[in-house]
Amino acid sequence: MRRIFMIAGHEAECWLTHDGSRFVLNMPDGAVPCQLVPAGAPGAYVLRTGGRAHELRLAVGPESTFIHLNGRTFEVGRVDPDDRLGGREGTAGGDRLLAPMPGVVVSVAVKPGDAVTEGQPLLVIESMKLETTLTAPRDGVVAEMPFTAGDSFGLKAVLAQLTPQEE
Amino acid sequence: MTISKLLVANRGEIAARVVRTAKARGLATAVLRHVAEQEGPAHLIADEVVMIDGPTPVAAYLDIPQIVAAARKIGADAVHPGYGFLSENAGFVATLEATGVTFVGPTSETIDLMGDKVRARAFVEARGFPVAPSAIEDDDPASFVERARTLGYPLLIKPSAGGGGKGMRIVREDSTLETEIETARREGQRYFGDGRLFVERYIERPRHIEVQVMGDGQGNVVHFWERECSIQRRFQKIIEETPSPALSPEQRDEICETAAGIARAVNYRGAGTVEFIYAQDGAFYFLEMNTRLQVEHPVTEMVTGFDLVAEQLRIAAGEGLSAAQADIPQTGHSIELRICAEDATADFRPAIGDILLLDEPHGEGIRVDSGILDGGKVTTDFDPMLSKLIVHGPDRAQAIARARNAVQNYVILGVTTNTGYLDAILAHPDFASGDVSTGFLAEQADVLTAPGEDVSTLLMAAAALSDQRLVTDVMQIPEMHRKMGGWRN
Repeated sequence: MRRIFMIAGHEAECWLTHDGSRFVLNMPDGAVPCQLVPAGAPGAYVLRTGGRAHELRLAVGPESTFIHLNGRTFEVGRVDPDDRLGGREGTAGGDRLLAPMPGVVVSVAVKPGDAVTEGQPLLVIESMKLETTLTAPRDGVVAEMPFTAGDSFGLKAVLAQLTPQEE
Repeated sequence: MTISKLLVANRGEIAARVVRTAKARGLATAVLRHVAEQEGPAHLIADEVVMIDGPTPVAAYLDIPQIVAAARKIGADAVHPGYGFLSENAGFVATLEATGVTFVGPTSETIDLMGDKVRARAFVEARGFPVAPSAIEDDDPASFVERARTLGYPLLIKPSAGGGGKGMRIVREDSTLETEIETARREGQRYFGDGRLFVERYIERPRHIEVQVMGDGQGNVVHFWERECSIQRRFQKIIEETPSPALSPEQRDEICETAAGIARAVNYRGAGTVEFIYAQDGAFYFLEMNTRLQVEHPVTEMVTGFDLVAEQLRIAAGEGLSAAQADIPQTGHSIELRICAEDATADFRPAIGDILLLDEPHGEGIRVDSGILDGGKVTTDFDPMLSKLIVHGPDRAQAIARARNAVQNYVILGVTTNTGYLDAILAHPDFASGDVSTGFLAEQADVLTAPGEDVSTLLMAAAALSDQRLVTDVMQIPEMHRKMGGWRN
């Protein structure tokens, strides 16, 4: 099965297989047999790859896997290959407004079902002590406003969703 | 004025830290919690939790009538303000005192004086303590250029109405002074509609050194030595230590005695910190006085053995200082690291998330003052500081080694933190040699955020094998792959 991971801002692709006795991680530049064994403490595992054992701590979040290894903490983003093929996010005139950075919703100007025109304010957010007004990327109808005033949101959270455009 | 019940008008790690000492002294304790706020360590250990509300969580913690009402409602006879929020708000102190509740801190008059930076500077200068040499045009416009010239170069010209670095000019040679003054005046006029200027000696590569003082309000003041706070990002400290690696024993005595003298001059009551700008040539100048407990107070506690919150509570209860100056040692070396939810590789952008796994380091010489709980949520409602990791060692090199080991073993999973960045600072040769200034983090940004050893194969393997859906899917189709003989390029 193919997976795309985001590590330190770079996409990395791999393919996990099982040859009947063990897992193999296949990458463009080679393949390594690997095994992840629980080690007792919460989130503690031993990762065995290519004859070597690595102790690590691990927690699976909704979009990323957090890994503490060799005294450092890494966030490995899991990119759904299907999402990438769709390519809807972040494109001009797209259906979703994604949070440019974490913040708090100050006010919401529209509700699901409202018809909006390009450039019309949808909501006001506050991030890093700055208020920003987010506007409709195109003409359309509001499908979803997932947050209300006072809610906190994370980086790339969907702040507004328009109903898909009919071709 | 005995104190029997203390309300801590703060949150996060400092609320928990104050509650611990108050309980050890036998006080009943209460803390605040905003209705939308995550449960924190303070809420678990305090005897009582008072819910507060407001348009935003921060606004609730700044709501004087609501907090004073909370203190009265629960019968608290004293309020500890922590740091930030209302800790340096003279109006809050006056309101508390009018209702008969003791404020754990200085008088409202002291807070007023030190809160006005121009008045504070004039007060300190008038009593013979060092302030950065400066000339204010408004004092006597006719002699401004001459007064500026006598300060000595380099000089920094600033618009009186300015801020944010706009219109500031550095002058290194006398021949350019007058043309630079005219340029600065035009810029001041353009940016602020006000061409008035002032000039001060420009301090190259300054360090930030501060001194912990404590007074009983009866004329007795002691100092608890200095703290070096030059490691700053966005003008905010993230690593502090004591002793300062910059000071000789003679300089240390001089700067600490100066701070105690300033505190004596205001008949200081409670814990305070006198901040100085320290120049490369060893000269130091009064910057400001913070009339509260500082975030970085634990490093002072580690080398002196004193509990500064206990001292604050003693003084507030009228019991006076517990020690004379000669009884306050400075033993070994202590370093504090501020653990923040932020991305050091993206201009310190605040990060949010759920804390999926929390495992704090522990062991000899390690202290963690934490404001978070395993399973909690990190939001942007408050400051990004999650906790403080404080270490102590017999000397600076051993303290750095202990700090590196501890921060590497501080496991916080689920939200991006600066632990790796802090470790990179500790590993930097200039930090090891103590050769830093307040510009260090900006100057070394590329080195400090450079990617370390590439472990991406291990990360991908761990991420793939911990993805239950992926593992299940792969196990269902081994037959096909065995026939394919694996996938390779």
